[in-house]
Amino acid sequence: MSVERAERPLLRERGPKRSVSAAPALSAHVIRARRQRSLESGAVFGTQILIGLGLLAGMYALNAVGGNLLMPSPTDVVEESIQMWSDGTMLSGLGQSLTVITLGFLLSASTGIFLGVLLGGFRVLGRVLEPFVNAMNSTPGAAFIPLIIVWFGLYTEAKVVVVWNAAFFPILINTTAGIANANKELVEMARAFGARRATLFWKVMVPDALPSILSGLRIGAAICTVGTVIAELTMAQSGLGGLLAAAGNRFQMDRYFAVVIVLMALGTAITALLRFAERRLGRWRVSLANGR
Amino acid sequence: MDKTVQPIISLRNVGKSFKEGQVRALQDISFDVNPGEFVSLVGPSGCGKTTLLRLINGLIAADEGEIRVQGVAPEPGPDLAMVFQSARLLPWLTVAANIEFVLKLKGLSGSERPTRARALLGAVGLRDFAEAFPHELSGGMQQRVGLARALAVEPKVLLMDEPFAALDAMTREVLRMELLQLWSRRGIAIVFVTHDIDEAVLLSQRVILLRPRPGRIDDIADVSFPEPRWQNDPRTLPAFKQMREHLWGRIHDMVRDGAELEELAGAFGGASLAS
Repeated sequence: MSVERAERPLLRERGPKRSVSAAPALSAHVIRARRQRSLESGAVFGTQILIGLGLLAGMYALNAVGGNLLMPSPTDVVEESIQMWSDGTMLSGLGQSLTVITLGFLLSASTGIFLGVLLGGFRVLGRVLEPFVNAMNSTPGAAFIPLIIVWFGLYTEAKVVVVWNAAFFPILINTTAGIANANKELVEMARAFGARRATLFWKVMVPDALPSILSGLRIGAAICTVGTVIAELTMAQSGLGGLLAAAGNRFQMDRYFAVVIVLMALGTAITALLRFAERRLGRWRVSLANGR
Repeated sequence: MDKTVQPIISLRNVGKSFKEGQVRALQDISFDVNPGEFVSLVGPSGCGKTTLLRLINGLIAADEGEIRVQGVAPEPGPDLAMVFQSARLLPWLTVAANIEFVLKLKGLSGSERPTRARALLGAVGLRDFAEAFPHELSGGMQQRVGLARALAVEPKVLLMDEPFAALDAMTREVLRMELLQLWSRRGIAIVFVTHDIDEAVLLSQRVILLRPRPGRIDDIADVSFPEPRWQNDPRTLPAFKQMREHLWGRIHDMVRDGAELEELAGAFGGASLAS
């Protein structure tokens, strides 16, 4: 290749020519890579199906050996599921649980991000509160349930407080860390061009912390589901957690499994949703990690 | 140089220490830069080149001596624009929005910003990439955007901190020539930090050679070749070779004066030291 000199529009001139000449070689390469990838994902999916079938077979076997109490037969679980969905039990349980999860998540997300931004922005405040935040964060959320019952009672508002208490700290800590660890090079760049403190904070440090804030939200949302079920089991029984407890207490294991399946699906859906949001909003971070 | 010209940057006996005075980064640095002049700061790692740029930019304050930019103590702002070794673009903004970001800092109104940003992208040959995100650009293109961003604020002085060091040789060569073109057209002063002696001699009108630990001035060499250099490559001239040999001679003296050979060889690359 001849060494390019002086004149400017070489970028545009060179671009198309290069891509045309490279096209056939590239496409063969791409096809091979694509085949490899589809082969691999096929193998992964196949193994997953096998494991699922193995689990089902295991359930049938345990049911045959130990009876309905030890393990319900999958057929019964499916029948019970259909029954619960059609008579509205599952739907109202899911509704109650979703209310607690949503309210708890919104509350912990708004307070966690707000305080996190504050602690990240004012270093001294962050340092003052750090031991308290750490102490609260490392205490299991369930430890506060008796206190919350005394203060807030047994119903939805108390459950929302339990969920808030569990999810607030991961969101707070991720937000604070994201802002405190904002890219120093970008901060210096903005400062060199004359950015003042407020601009630096809102236009550089907070956007730079966004991926970290989003991971905090994802972790927080997962914890919200856990917190909701714990609250529903230990406080006034309601929602999916309440159904779980009622079925368990009466040894209706098929009913119990039907609820567990819904909880699994719910947790997976929430995590997938937030991971999707995280990837959309934090796409640029991937390229940064690859080194520019 | 015309003595009546008021220097745009002037340093007098500047010193700077770090870690509460334990590490002396710079000592007794004095030089002037005239308006429109292209000056290079050359030296091995650890001679405080980047520190010197940050002092001139006003990002940090000197411990000793006096720095004047346009007659007053320097302050970060649109009169002094920085180009860094990595482009340092805000990755969540498009290329155009990155330039508009600094235009806003300069205080340009919202209606002017997009036109100006696009005009500057045109000047570095990236008009078609205005809506691209930084990670979609190659390293050389990102550095072009960094240059466009610095020029966008219409600075009196361009401070460049090894801007081409991280690029491949071919891109580096193209960008050097483009920089010379932009400089001769705009008449801004440039302070260019590099550890590449050939690059310093090729680009600048004056080379300030620094020696390490603590950083101080070893030599100031005036470089005059027929301008514009992007049309007549001075690298074939005997004067270029002479200047190169002179500077390398100074570096060999540095080595003899007790600076550690390994450090210098590491900083400059063993092959060039031997040549």
